[in-house]
Amino acid sequence: MPGQDMRLTISTSPHLHSQDTVPMAMKDVLIALLPVTVISIYMYRFYAVFLIAVCMLSAIVFELVFRKVMKKEATLFDCSALVTGLLLALCLRPGTAWWVAVLATFFAVGIAKELMGGLGWNRFNPALFGLVAITLLAPLYVGINPSFALVRPSFGSLDVITQATPLALMKQGAFGQLSLSQMLIASPGGALGETSALALIIGGIYLLYKKHISWHIPISIIGTVLVVSAIWTPAGIAAGIPLFHVMAGGVLIGAFFMATDWVTSPITTKGQIIFGIAIGILVMIFRNGLASTEGVAFSILIMNAFVPMIDRLTRRPKFGEIAFGEAAVPAKPSVSKSS
Amino acid sequence: MSVKTFQRGVNVPHYKEFSEGQPISTIALPSEVIIPLQQHIGAPGQALVSVGDKVTAGQKIGESSAFVSAPIHASVDGTVTAVEPRPGFTGASVESVVIAVDLKQKEPQWTKRDHTAMSKDELKAAIKDAGIVGMGGAAFPTHVKLSPPSPIDTIVINACECEPFLTCDHRMMVEMTDALVEGAKLIAKVVDAPNVVFGVEINKPDAIKALQSKISGEKGLSVVNLEVKYPQGSEKQLIKAVLDREVPPGKLPLEVGVVVQNVATAIAVYEACHLNKPVIERVLTLSGDAAYSPGNLMVKIGTPISHVLKERGGARVAEASKERELSLPPDLVGKIIMGGPMTGWAQSNLSVPVVKGTSGILLFSPTMVTETEHSDCVRCGKCVEHCPMFLYPNYIGQYAELGNYAKAAEWGAIDCFECGICTYVCPANRPMVQFVRETKKEIAAAKAAK
Ligand code: SF4
Ligand code: SF4
Repeated sequence: MPGQDMRLTISTSPHLHSQDTVPMAMKDVLIALLPVTVISIYMYRFYAVFLIAVCMLSAIVFELVFRKVMKKEATLFDCSALVTGLLLALCLRPGTAWWVAVLATFFAVGIAKELMGGLGWNRFNPALFGLVAITLLAPLYVGINPSFALVRPSFGSLDVITQATPLALMKQGAFGQLSLSQMLIASPGGALGETSALALIIGGIYLLYKKHISWHIPISIIGTVLVVSAIWTPAGIAAGIPLFHVMAGGVLIGAFFMATDWVTSPITTKGQIIFGIAIGILVMIFRNGLASTEGVAFSILIMNAFVPMIDRLTRRPKFGEIAFGEAAVPAKPSVSKSS
Repeated sequence: MSVKTFQRGVNVPHYKEFSEGQPISTIALPSEVIIPLQQHIGAPGQALVSVGDKVTAGQKIGESSAFVSAPIHASVDGTVTAVEPRPGFTGASVESVVIAVDLKQKEPQWTKRDHTAMSKDELKAAIKDAGIVGMGGAAFPTHVKLSPPSPIDTIVINACECEPFLTCDHRMMVEMTDALVEGAKLIAKVVDAPNVVFGVEINKPDAIKALQSKISGEKGLSVVNLEVKYPQGSEKQLIKAVLDREVPPGKLPLEVGVVVQNVATAIAVYEACHLNKPVIERVLTLSGDAAYSPGNLMVKIGTPISHVLKERGGARVAEASKERELSLPPDLVGKIIMGGPMTGWAQSNLSVPVVKGTSGILLFSPTMVTETEHSDCVRCGKCVEHCPMFLYPNYIGQYAELGNYAKAAEWGAIDCFECGICTYVCPANRPMVQFVRETKKEIAAAKAAK
């Protein structure tokens, strides 16, 4: 054609694009996890460094291997494997055997994500899936554990590692040993990611500020945990038990980093609030009723399964389907298009 | 100051600073104009002239007997050199009248008349004769829009100009306030509407002031300040913001007693009724980060883009301006868009002419061209959160990608007006607007096959 200039790009509208990309969002999640990562390394030293390195490296390897075997393009650039690896490491306790960590990553990245079709198609939060898988399999591998004894690195002993978790302390009625302000800033006990409530909140605020997550899920989870625990044990309100429930045992990391996972949470804000409230209730049932230590992980995974149903139930009408301004509109015979 | 708006939508960068302070200016005539016989939604016009004919500016050269159509006029004095298909801005070829422009142009003489004395039918006939169409880009014939089958109580003048970069409506509001207000009143008279509301985004304070002082004391006229948000200027969103009425899916604004017209259209109505002047020129914005000399230009219909670029120095290079040569070094210009950046059409052929619906010509540098691969939907929900029609662009995209167009339609593809927000916000870069267009095409084909 005359005048054709092949150097010009032809594409459909829109010709502008926001700065948001998946890799950028994932990098921001890594940044948001930095404070708690630093504190857990401060607390657990090499134990933390070791677990984080093992999980992140094996996440990369599993992603590469699975995509290669399934003959798909590598998608490492989206950084989602790194996020899953880091989140998983933060869910583990210091002293967890390296091969258990690798196994967890295999379940997380290999099974929960790549086998399900890759990022976007997974039904369950990969990191939590990995965590719950190794928790459920624990009885099976107690027997094999000693055979790995020779290949287990030793970083010397650190007495904080054997310290009871705050949740366990509370269960034993030793609540008095805990200080809320200590838990807020930094305290040992539990998984790597449970060492500092404040660090998690800072990370969560960063994600909110960057608009990668909205407030609906975290606030409805935290709010529900507060309210349910206050109703459950009214006597504990003065002692700060509701606050304690929020700060202990992974509620914060779950609320800000796990339940808000784009892929595995409801698509509408209404659905997100329902999702959050249900998780909050489940967490309290697990804690008060069933005495499970991985209550948060189980609660979120259970609700992940309900996401398609929540999405269906909260399907919103199109613009104009419910005429909000009907009263202002003069009654008119209905007409079809004027053309 | 109360500021109104609609639900959802998104804030996009304005980029208006390139041209908003530039008064409307004219450019020299090209040596040839290419006037497509279809510049509107509806039936194409039939050529009334043939090769060798002398034509004068304002002479009718194309017309159709269909109701939904608009006549086409010569924009210059000259000689018809061809009547043949020529590439249009959508990429498809359109039957066009090509006119070699006379070197000696007479200043066109318009016969003034007293438009206030004209009856409704006379006004409507004048609007039809002048070939007026929606000049915001939709190009729907205006006389059809002004023939509603049910009563209209309010005319909303779309003075939002919510597309980034575009400033031509803004300049017209400031420089041609009288014509705009008169035109709006004429439109109201045609459909017996007692109220006229000008909806203006608050990033144009000078336009708001000009309008307010012009209409003060006039009964039934008002200015509504609107939040700066995209797509504030879309008909349904505008009506919602200004009057709090919702047009039901698949229906037109007249359903809720409203007709929307844009600024340039209202001014064209005034000129048609008062001066008997057809649409032979329009104001458009030349802008973009790669434009050498951005501005708001009065351009004859049919002027090739290449001529506009040549007159205004093309890309942002000093040499180009000195020699007034069309210069598009590939390292400086990556994309040329006709219309706004959210809904406009990328061009590769610079002989494409300016038509009645052309609101802008934008030159983007390669850094503004975001061509990255898209990945699978990560269900972030941003498209759902921002879609002003409350659709589910994520599912539309997923189903269309799988070829399941019936499902894509079920999630709202047909109600989508292709504002582009979903694609704009998507972190996975998914081309939802493209999926919507595919779906609409497939569904229409399936209906036709039945
Ligand atoms: S689906 Fe259509 S109306 Fe909704 S945001 Fe996308 S382009 Fe706009
Ligand atoms: S914005 Fe893109 S990634 Fe997010 S839900 Fe919509 S289609 Fe999916």
